[in-house]
Amino acid sequence: MKSLLRIALGLVVIVTALSAVQLSVHAQDNPRRPVTDDEVNAVSKKLYCPVCENITLDTCGTLACAQWREEVRILLSEGKTPEQVIENFVARFGDRVVGTPVDPTLRALSLVTPWLLSTLVLLSAAAIFIRWRKESAAAPKASAAQPSVQVTTHTLEEYRARIEADLAARR
Amino acid sequence: MLAELGFIATFLAFLAALYAAGVAFHSVRVRDDRLLLSARNAALATFPLLGVSLGTLLIALLTQQYQIAYVWNVTDPNTPTFFRVTALWGAQAGSLLFWSGIMSAFAFGTIVLNWHGQRRLMPYVIVYTMLTLAFFLSLSLFFENPFERYWIMPDNNVVKSVFAVGGAVPPASARLAETANGLNPLLRHFGMIVHPPLLYMGFVGFIIPFAFAMAALASGDLSTNWIRATRRWTLLAWVSLSLGLVLGGRWAYDVLGWGGWWGWDPVENAAFLPWLVGTAFLHSAMIQEKRGMLKVWNMFLMLGTFSAVIFGTFATRSGLVDSVHSFARSDIGFPLFAFWFGITAVSIGMLLWRWRRGDLRDERRLNSWLSRESLFVLNNIVFVMLFIAIFWGSFGAPIFSELFMGTTITLGKDYFLQVTPPLFLVLFILMGVAPLSAWSVTSLRRLGKALIVPASLAALIVALLALLQPAEPPVLLIYGIIALSGTVALWETVRGAMARHKSLGESWYRAFTALIARNRQRYGGYLVHLSVAILGIGALGSELYQQETQRTLAVGESLELGGYVMRYDGFLGGQIAEDGRIMDIAQVTVLRDGREVARLRPRRDFYPNAEGMNSMTIPAAHSTLENDFYVLLVDWETISARSATFKVFINPLINLIWWGTLLLVIGTIVAMYPDERIALVTAKTAQPSQLAGAKA
Repeated sequence: MKSLLRIALGLVVIVTALSAVQLSVHAQDNPRRPVTDDEVNAVSKKLYCPVCENITLDTCGTLACAQWREEVRILLSEGKTPEQVIENFVARFGDRVVGTPVDPTLRALSLVTPWLLSTLVLLSAAAIFIRWRKESAAAPKASAAQPSVQVTTHTLEEYRARIEADLAARR
Repeated sequence: MLAELGFIATFLAFLAALYAAGVAFHSVRVRDDRLLLSARNAALATFPLLGVSLGTLLIALLTQQYQIAYVWNVTDPNTPTFFRVTALWGAQAGSLLFWSGIMSAFAFGTIVLNWHGQRRLMPYVIVYTMLTLAFFLSLSLFFENPFERYWIMPDNNVVKSVFAVGGAVPPASARLAETANGLNPLLRHFGMIVHPPLLYMGFVGFIIPFAFAMAALASGDLSTNWIRATRRWTLLAWVSLSLGLVLGGRWAYDVLGWGGWWGWDPVENAAFLPWLVGTAFLHSAMIQEKRGMLKVWNMFLMLGTFSAVIFGTFATRSGLVDSVHSFARSDIGFPLFAFWFGITAVSIGMLLWRWRRGDLRDERRLNSWLSRESLFVLNNIVFVMLFIAIFWGSFGAPIFSELFMGTTITLGKDYFLQVTPPLFLVLFILMGVAPLSAWSVTSLRRLGKALIVPASLAALIVALLALLQPAEPPVLLIYGIIALSGTVALWETVRGAMARHKSLGESWYRAFTALIARNRQRYGGYLVHLSVAILGIGALGSELYQQETQRTLAVGESLELGGYVMRYDGFLGGQIAEDGRIMDIAQVTVLRDGREVARLRPRRDFYPNAEGMNSMTIPAAHSTLENDFYVLLVDWETISARSATFKVFINPLINLIWWGTLLLVIGTIVAMYPDERIALVTAKTAQPSQLAGAKA
């Protein structure tokens, strides 16, 4: 019985020792580096709290966000780059956790649409302006532009006269 | 008694608004002045009636009538008097009633001041203002009633009703006081006394130019009458909205504890959108006044501004977007959406009707790319582009992706900082160039010549800024463009005074005051331009060169940031304030060049009775014109408090934002200040009633 106990104990010691060696080798493969609060905040600033109201992770005061910040710290300490950490969060919570979507279609939709719409506005305005110029050119001289006094004024006296003329026009 | 009185007064105001709208409309159809006078009196009566409603609610808040559900929800026995007053607009029901109160005040003022001058438009103005008021009062009466009281039914169920229901008894006062919620901790800030009222004044104030625009469309008086009549009302609404926005930023800076003042949050943006269209309108209205142009465009901008106001209200109060600024989800979402849709469809329909009839034909056309009116139009286009970009980011893309792509997205600061800066830059360029160009036509050479002095001044400012805060060349160029928009305004004023001083022999003081008095609209506008330039430099500097660090310090340890040293001196835990909140306070000393410059006390406030978010991180700051040293207490070692974690920011030039805003208010007051001569002319040429000749 005693010998059986010794063998069992011996096996436990050997297994434990082997596990320790294994863990140590693993730890040497993936050494955890210390991560500063500033590094955590720099990544958290780019992530939106998945449950709160349009608040970035670095400023959200909830317990859930504190835990997510800790996750950011762990991922960074494991050697993940900030981009990988962000991808990790997007994979888990979707594109709502970033300020601009990572998904290429959503990203294009988000960033291109306002410029597209703005260009349409600009082109419409330019077309109207060109049409007006043509109409002005076709109209008789009498109704053409009446250049304001300012066009030819340079001296202070003339400048004062322009101000008065503008004021008179307002009245 | 208070609840019944408040409810009855609100209900009477609702009936009066409906009566005024209906009878004013009918009076035009039957051309009866007596009916119109009756409608006017009913419209005027809404203001004192709502004064009674608001007064009773305020008394209920101050005297702690906790049986009224609203009072129970937003105050508790520890709430200081100051916050009992601000609690009037601290939650949905009270703020809706307050909103209606402000609207009736605006309507009252307009009817009194414009009655004789704008008799042809007034019947329709009454119709549109009173219909809108009636709608908002219906929300207060049927969805978010601030006068509902708690009752205990015989079966022990608790119900809310204004009047006593059969067999119900009121809950015990002591029990109600004990369980009262107290004001949302986020709203316990000094700024809450002015920020919401100003924001509401800004939103609601646009009802007046909107009603006049609609009145012009309905009556066929499509001259510049409606623009002249509403210029000051528009400016009042605009400056209130501007102040409301900036004070909201200041509140965020002081209370939300993230080191910034503008987070591009959807609710902030919802208030910014009408500001953008309203600002475009203020510029293009000048072109209609002076050149008889852009009549359709001005109508469109004003209708768009009010539509944006109602949309913003819907977004903020319906739960459409989640934000720390928004109200809780509520049943008023659908009625508000329906009202927004209806008012937008009707106004656009009327505009198209008049347009197709050719009633809005311009007296002149744009004929030079470089005239002042062309540059104003370009300025308007950029404002509209900004509107599109911000609307898309705040509402368009999130709603589109959720509806059509099944994905929820958030477009945050990243998006807005990619899309909006080029547009803001173009606006600043136009602000610098447009005041120097002439009406009708101008030349590049002339423009270049006029820019020499302001550009030199701007270069000087850039050099000064570079000394204060070293910056990259592109940033210095942007600083220069922004500064130019201010120096042009400054130089145009100085030049005008010089002209008077030299040609009329006036003293410098007399020359300046006389110049401004002769054309308050222009020089008030220039002051506003100068203030926007100051504000722009502050916003750019604080955004681009903000520094931050987070560090855990033991007592006696220090950290360094941006030339400052901060030493952690000690900790005061569990301090109980008069209003019952528990404060954990860190004590730090700030040093610069080895010299102590400030002792700060960043803290964490804990509200034991509050529901939901019950702790607040309150920053402490050492402010100079150069920058803010801004400290947040993030965490601390709970038992011994030997160590604490701080987040520290250096916010360069941020105080220019607050100072710039002050100048903006002064400039707008100058621009709004009534010109006695014009007032006299208006009084002498008061319009006869358009219904005259009928049964008057």
